[in-house]
Amino acid sequence: MANLDAADTTFRPKPNLPPPPNTVGAVGWMRKNLFSSVLNTLLTLGAMWLILSVAYTLFDWGVLKAVWVAENRRECLDRSPDGACWAGVIHWFNTFMYGRYPYAEQWRPNLGLVILILWMLPCWLPRVTGKIGIALSAVIIFPFLAGYLFAGGEKGLILQILVSAGIVTFITIWLHVLSCLLTGRSLPVHILGITGFTDKDDRLHKYPLIGAFGLALIVVLILQSGWEPPEVGTNLWGGLFLTLVISGVGITTALPSGVLLALGRRSRMPIIRVSCIAFIELFRSVPLITILFMAVTMMPLFLPETVTLNRLVQVIIAVCLFAAAYMAEIVRGGLQAIPKGQYEAAQSMGLNYWKMMALVVMPQALKLMIPNIVGNFIGLFKDTTLVSIIGLYDLLLMLKAVSQNPQWNGLYLEPFMFGTFVFFIFCFAMSTYSQHLERTLGSGQVRR
Amino acid sequence: MAILDKGSPARDMSFSGMVNDERYRAVFYQIVVFGLIAWGGWYLVSNTSHNLASRGMSSGFGFLGNTAGFDIAWFIIPYDPRMSYGRVFLVGITNTLIVSLIAIVFTTVLGFIIGILRLSKNWLIAKLAAWYVELLRNTPLLLQILFWYLAVFSLLPRPRDSVSILEVFQLNNRGFYFPSPVPGELFWLTMLAVLIAIAGTYALNVWSNRRQAETGIRFPVLWPSLAILFLLPGLVFLASGTPLSFTYPVLQGFNFVGGTSVPPAFCALFVALVVYHSAFIGENVRAGIQSVSHGQTEASHSLGLKPTLTFRLVIIPQAMRAIIPPLISAWMNVVKNSSLAIAIGFPDLVAVFMQTSLNQSGHAIEIVAMVMAFYMVVSLTISAALNVYNKSVQLKER
Repeated sequence: MANLDAADTTFRPKPNLPPPPNTVGAVGWMRKNLFSSVLNTLLTLGAMWLILSVAYTLFDWGVLKAVWVAENRRECLDRSPDGACWAGVIHWFNTFMYGRYPYAEQWRPNLGLVILILWMLPCWLPRVTGKIGIALSAVIIFPFLAGYLFAGGEKGLILQILVSAGIVTFITIWLHVLSCLLTGRSLPVHILGITGFTDKDDRLHKYPLIGAFGLALIVVLILQSGWEPPEVGTNLWGGLFLTLVISGVGITTALPSGVLLALGRRSRMPIIRVSCIAFIELFRSVPLITILFMAVTMMPLFLPETVTLNRLVQVIIAVCLFAAAYMAEIVRGGLQAIPKGQYEAAQSMGLNYWKMMALVVMPQALKLMIPNIVGNFIGLFKDTTLVSIIGLYDLLLMLKAVSQNPQWNGLYLEPFMFGTFVFFIFCFAMSTYSQHLERTLGSGQVRR
Repeated sequence: MAILDKGSPARDMSFSGMVNDERYRAVFYQIVVFGLIAWGGWYLVSNTSHNLASRGMSSGFGFLGNTAGFDIAWFIIPYDPRMSYGRVFLVGITNTLIVSLIAIVFTTVLGFIIGILRLSKNWLIAKLAAWYVELLRNTPLLLQILFWYLAVFSLLPRPRDSVSILEVFQLNNRGFYFPSPVPGELFWLTMLAVLIAIAGTYALNVWSNRRQAETGIRFPVLWPSLAILFLLPGLVFLASGTPLSFTYPVLQGFNFVGGTSVPPAFCALFVALVVYHSAFIGENVRAGIQSVSHGQTEASHSLGLKPTLTFRLVIIPQAMRAIIPPLISAWMNVVKNSSLAIAIGFPDLVAVFMQTSLNQSGHAIEIVAMVMAFYMVVSLTISAALNVYNKSVQLKER
């Protein structure tokens, strides 16, 4: 025993054998997930056959045999009877986007969209302060500016002020954003510095800010008075543009009114509670199409003869009421999920009802409700297609109108596929973004 | 809290005291809201009565007795244009209910299949189901209905070249034709046998459950139940001389005669509702099954239950608690969304009553109220049933 080395007596494990080659890598993954049993293999083969045959049919019809340039449907059919006639979709593309909005004026919806994107963009930029204010101004002030931009025509004094306020706010926001990004200080700090108010009492700080805003407002008010784009009646609005306008207004009003209704429903004051419940239950239990019919047929009866609303306004009011009722139930669900301790803690901190709701309860509740809120937005966006039934030229009615045109008679499939694609892109983007938000905002909720 | 309630402060009757007292403010807010609602209601009513008077329109439900005078493309309960608006209302209700009910049955079955496929261990199947759900959920139902109607069911061949299944079901651009049963004289005996068989099976189940609870001995329920369910009615049916025949759709001239048929609009609405809502129900089913914690599966395996028994006895009963409420609201959505039939001309309640009848008679307020009342009754009934069910399956916590 003594002649044996110490090294020989110690146990030396051999290196691990590599896993069997058919359990790792692509082969292993496929064995585990696709061919684990006879039944699974059959299912996989069946699914592959289904996918391949559908994909091939679509590819053959939509790409290989498709006609991209043609004057009318007859020409499409002559050139390739069993291929897609994308020429029709290309020919009608502008109508799908803007409806009957005059071609020469279509820069206005485009400009409105660009302004909206630029307005909201700072909310996603780093180092920018006051994001809530920016988002709120987009909800409150932007609609007036955009509404006038789209509709045009003569404007009264109030509308002039609102439009000017919109322009000034937009410029202010971007000056603020630039100053935040470049100098790291917000715009108000700069204004205070220029006017020499920095050293003065904090209570006086608001005066130079209000003054600067007022001065800018007056300048813009004078400058814009000559600007009067030709009027485009709402009966000419259409296509995806109209769909976005209706759903945009619905979505922006749904959340605040839904929050108010939900709070009302949980209120301890019986009259407020009962009226909120009645409103919510009425609008949730009937289909949207009946509400739209009600708006179109009954609103003229409800209002004095001197007041006439155009059809778009009637429809938007109906959509807003409908969306508010649905949102109210979602917010209520969120409120109920907040433990009572949170309310009591907020009250014991001395917060009053509105501060408790705004600072403690709502932020938590809304965070919990993001998937449902976005789901509701998607539903609302899809539901705006119903306005085509009562004769608004939204995207769906435009898609349908192609087949009634003598030149393109009977062309259903391709426009519908295009519409499906557009709606899918919008809705899928919304749901993907909501999942992203859920992950980033809900990080505190994840149990580890 | 109790201390606060007991010692609630005496009421300060000065003005600032009243402003700062929450109780007075609550009363004040409520008076304001009530006043606003009352004023709004009065404003609407006065405007409406003025408008009605100035247009020379009458109000009231008397018009329901008037002759409707228009034809309805498809109906279950007998109807002809000489009948009244009240009858039109009933025809609309039955059409809406029939298409919703059939769609609910099929969409629930398809939804469960989709939900289970989404949880499949087979990656390809799960992905396929996921894309089915995404595609259908992210496109508007109205677009899908129009797609099925214009691009599928309207492009079917003429009756002469129908797509026929087993020579019995015929599908063409006039609709879907299927044989209709004609019960003979003694058919009631078979129906009675079916009822007896169902009652017998139920009794057998109750007895075997009770015996298992008392003695622990299991009774193989499945095969005797199937035997009772199929043999008894079958024997009675044969013994009474097969008193049931079918009339088959037969091509005569340009169209089919005999059997029963539904128009293409019905088919398109039905298929679109089933497919669209199956995606939502599939998601509910998936979420419900996933909501049962994995510990339950492990516990059940460690008790020695086989995977199928685990699924049936442990997972499904717990998952149903999470599945049923959204499932029922999906059913409610089917009923509500069946109103989109108006876009393709299927005569449902909204189409025949809220559109045609309203345009003809002009009684907007009454008609809108009646249609809304119908949908409210349906949805309140369903949610009442849901509440009863929820009470019965809720976790009984102490």
